[in-house]
Amino acid sequence: MLYRYTLVRVKNPDAAEEIVQVTLLAALQAKTSFQGRSTEKSWLFGILKHKILDHFRELKSRRTYELTPEDGSDPLENAYQSDGHWENAPKNWDTDPHKAVENKQLVAAMSQCLDRLPDKSRNIFVLKEIEGLSSDEICKEMDIKPTNLWVILHRARNQLRKCLETHHWNLKK
Amino acid sequence: MKPDSLFAKFDTWIIRKLRITCEDTTPLISELMDHSLPLGKRIRLKLHLAMCKVCGCYQKQLEVIRSLAQKLGESDAPTQQQVTLSDQAKTKIKNSLKQSS
Repeated sequence: MLYRYTLVRVKNPDAAEEIVQVTLLAALQAKTSFQGRSTEKSWLFGILKHKILDHFRELKSRRTYELTPEDGSDPLENAYQSDGHWENAPKNWDTDPHKAVENKQLVAAMSQCLDRLPDKSRNIFVLKEIEGLSSDEICKEMDIKPTNLWVILHRARNQLRKCLETHHWNLKK
Repeated sequence: MKPDSLFAKFDTWIIRKLRITCEDTTPLISELMDHSLPLGKRIRLKLHLAMCKVCGCYQKQLEVIRSLAQKLGESDAPTQQQVTLSDQAKTKIKNSLKQSS
């Protein structure tokens, strides 16, 4: 369960293994400080969350999270007519956000689409939407400007939209 | 000029000033998910969304994506295949735990 939880966030199986290992070692070393105020599971996941964030900090020290030309363009770049209206209008997915999470196939498709994002977009999207960090926290941790953060998140959302439309909603028809 | 027609002209002028395209709207929809927008942008966005069902559809899609991401982050979320640590990794972790205890 720890491994799966980690793999969703970091994608790389070797890195996920390493994080689970350091989490368990940290838990073992700190077991005397566990006071039973929460369940062992949530205590362990608390340690794991810190280790995952440490992993993202370490990645930041090795690469920039500012936008570069290699990051490509927004999938919506050519989605509009010259007057600014939609060329290919978004499809009606015919589901609301609360019902969507009950659809296991859709959650699995989201997992696959998330793994198709470029690493930079994936990491930022994970910190925002899965780890629930605020925009200020992400800018501080990843050392990026707020405007760049919004552009990265906007592109990531558009790439996920496109991927889900192609690989989930098209298959349903 | 009658006051009614003056108001009508003013209304049209205001709407023209506040009108934005779908291309301008989509980044605002995404941005609104991350932080609050200044009043001017918020009014333009609301006005556009009140008139454009397609952008409303786009907004709903982003909300679905947010919900799916949150679900995926839960410890018991379903994924395409059952992922577990390899036996080799389990042994490696067991050994390192033994050594440290």
